[in-house]
Amino acid sequence: MNTNTSLSRGQAWQKWLWRLLAVAVLAYLPVVLTDRAAFGIALSNMQLLNLGLTQVNLMLIAMLGALSLNYLTGSAGLISIGHAAFYATGAMTAAITGSQLGWPFPLVLLSAAVSGALVGVLAGLPSLRVRGLYFVLSTLAVHHVIVYVFLEYQFKFFDVVGIPYAGAKLGGWELNTPIRWYFFLLALVVLVYAGFAASLRTREGRAMQAMRDHELAATSMGVDVRILRLKAFGLSSAVASVAGALFAYLLTNVTSEAFGITFAIQFIAMIIIGGMGSLPGALVGAAIWLLLPSIIGGLAPRSSEAVGLTRLFLVEGRAQFVQLIFGMLVIVLLIFAPRGITGLGRDIRQLLASWRGR
Amino acid sequence: MSAALEIEGLSVAYARKGLALQDVNLSVPKGGIVALLGANGAGKTTLIRAVTGLLDLHHGAVTAGQIRFGGQSMLGVPAHKRVRLGMGQVPEGRLVFKHLSVEDNLRVGADILPRGQLHEGLEAVYTLFPRLRERRQQAAGWMSGGEQQMLALGRAMIGRPQLLLVDELSLGLAPLIVKDIYKQLRVIGETLGTTMLVVEQNARLALEFAESAFILAGGRIAFSGTSAEIAASPAIQQSYLGGGAAQAAGEEAAQ
Amino acid sequence: MFGQVLFSGLALGSIYGLVALGFTVIFKATDVFNFAQGMFVVLGAYLAVTAISLLGLPFPLAILFLVIASALVGAVIHILLIQPLSGRPMLSVIMLTIALSIVLRSVIELTYGPQGRTLSTPLPMGVLVVGDVRMSYLHLWAALVSWLCMAIFGAFFRFTSVGLLMRATADGHEAAVVSGVNVNAMNRVAWGIGTTLAAIGGLFLGQLQIASPELETIGLLALPAVVIGGMQSIPGAIIGGLLVGVIEQMASAYISPKSSDIVIYLLLLVILMVRPWGLFGQRELGRV
Repeated sequence: MNTNTSLSRGQAWQKWLWRLLAVAVLAYLPVVLTDRAAFGIALSNMQLLNLGLTQVNLMLIAMLGALSLNYLTGSAGLISIGHAAFYATGAMTAAITGSQLGWPFPLVLLSAAVSGALVGVLAGLPSLRVRGLYFVLSTLAVHHVIVYVFLEYQFKFFDVVGIPYAGAKLGGWELNTPIRWYFFLLALVVLVYAGFAASLRTREGRAMQAMRDHELAATSMGVDVRILRLKAFGLSSAVASVAGALFAYLLTNVTSEAFGITFAIQFIAMIIIGGMGSLPGALVGAAIWLLLPSIIGGLAPRSSEAVGLTRLFLVEGRAQFVQLIFGMLVIVLLIFAPRGITGLGRDIRQLLASWRGR
Repeated sequence: MSAALEIEGLSVAYARKGLALQDVNLSVPKGGIVALLGANGAGKTTLIRAVTGLLDLHHGAVTAGQIRFGGQSMLGVPAHKRVRLGMGQVPEGRLVFKHLSVEDNLRVGADILPRGQLHEGLEAVYTLFPRLRERRQQAAGWMSGGEQQMLALGRAMIGRPQLLLVDELSLGLAPLIVKDIYKQLRVIGETLGTTMLVVEQNARLALEFAESAFILAGGRIAFSGTSAEIAASPAIQQSYLGGGAAQAAGEEAAQ
Repeated sequence: MFGQVLFSGLALGSIYGLVALGFTVIFKATDVFNFAQGMFVVLGAYLAVTAISLLGLPFPLAILFLVIASALVGAVIHILLIQPLSGRPMLSVIMLTIALSIVLRSVIELTYGPQGRTLSTPLPMGVLVVGDVRMSYLHLWAALVSWLCMAIFGAFFRFTSVGLLMRATADGHEAAVVSGVNVNAMNRVAWGIGTTLAAIGGLFLGQLQIASPELETIGLLALPAVVIGGMQSIPGAIIGGLLVGVIEQMASAYISPKSSDIVIYLLLLVILMVRPWGLFGQRELGRV
């Protein structure tokens, strides 16, 4: 008995220590990336995995997108191929309320969330009528329609160069440096993660996960499955829409091409790689999406020195090579590790635990 | 080898349901007509699936033992190959091609035959089951259960298999039709000398039809012997085949 | 004007019908909703470029090269990717075909460069004028060959023994195994056929426009075509393709060129809400 309590206290200490360490790393990271040095020691590009703070910021936004998609797909069992369309919704709403009407930034984000939720519910309506494959197709159609609306809007009120976004500030604090963006986005990611995790623990959340597995079981829990689905869609799209608005402000200019089907597919790839249905999986998937091009870019020798295939893959065709690796990674994981990297991680941990148990 | 089918020490398990067959030994002599009996869930269909190679389709696998057909080991041989080696199959539920015509159904089965013999093969089946000839262009899905059973049988026989495996022929069919089909099966057995292993829930029918029988209970062979032996022993029937069938068979034997 | 639009709609629609047919063959055989079908079209265009411009083959040989190469690609994809995932949930397989399209696209771009390549064939370039309709020979040939391929496939499916076995496999997987059909081989043939039909479509689309990865969006119009026509139905695929072609051209002419895709996807949404099994399909709804 005594050993048990002291062990669990030890384990509790361990947990807190790890969390403290993580917070410290996350807080110090932007400084490292900006100064290109840690504790005064200069770090080469290679050692920093060729990362810049802007890319990390893009990854944080992608995490929002992946989290929202995983919430929808993995937890509620609804598959949406056209997730990028909600990014477009947010960007367009931000263009209207921010660039055209000049609303303050927090209100712009709020308006993006509301419009995203509305569009999300609309997009989810086909799920009342059809399921499975047909529903997936409906999300594809919805994607095309929304991006088309964005395109028409862009050309009507702006021009082919794109829609400009400026004035991202919270009260007096202006988001004008990557470090400020970093902390803002990090806080947002943590908030959204916690929010989704909490939502999944409520009765409705558990019903949703039941709904993914077996609809009758969920109905027997006393919840209207159809309303639940629409709620899930609305919440997921709201978050994605805000992410889209932030995306637009971070890049300060977007065109409709940014929201093509290729982009939407990246999210699906992210959650497959990370592990569907797991919130940490969304984070892992987005991180890999960020790291892959950086690592490959880091491997590239200077362009003048490269020859043959290396030149093709790493210099001229680098973007395509990254996509190739990305796609193959998804395929390999689908065949051999369908629960993604977090699933693998869980399996490995279980394996280790069973060894230790002996 | 005078045995067409030899099963030694066979154990089979399903992914979710666990062990279904344990240490089963069974052999069917060439030209023999053998019945496989037992209560529901005893493992009859599992045994047939192991022989025909359909286990992995149903998430099962052979965990021990050997299956030999015509002296050749069948383990690892894919199911469709076993058919082409001479194992005709009439599965539980008939599994006819619902959207194909009767004749097309038969043609699929006849794919094993060399080209010139297709017409002969079709004629043989139509002679055996005249009702199929009447319906030759009809879609199989629209036919009655009995006609579908005849079709499934015809499709299996058209390729002139050495061994015919029939699973639950009588399920869902009127007794008169079942009697008729077993009569035709008898004819096939006598004229072609096809070896037959028949899974049948209706023990009385099976014992009438077959020469000998194996009784499965709880995944093991509980008893084996000639039909006469089994029919004459109410004790065996009571223990393994359930009261009703036992009584009826007992009455038959007493006559 | 109307006659002109109708003509190009039907001509393009024939090509879409061919691609949609390939898609349906794959779907009927293996239950896979192949999102990579659009990239198969692109593959066809680039194979044509390779055969004609890079290898300098005479046209008939180039066609042969295209057919054999694309059939091989389809079969290999089935062996490496589809067969291992049989029995998995449909979502996984859909993702697989999406990932496949990503991989194919990047391979093609790495091999040929991201810009398009012109595809020149000895097909006649002129125009046949009938009344006030100008029919380009290219369109006519594209439609003719598409219909010829569909007819050949139809005959193959209906009258050959392999076609019979494929129909049997589509009818019932276990029933086919029990009857001695090598189901895996039949599915491989289905994938080979599906890929080849798309590739032939790519040959014509590549010549009508240009061989580039952007052809994928056009190739993907086969998806709404199949849904509108009815998913497991072969005549449905062809008619769906024709409809999509005509609607696309009509929208492009009478509304605006950019709107043509949207009109089709809106129609897709309507069909999904009102009659999801399409014009010729059967009522069994989607699985996942």
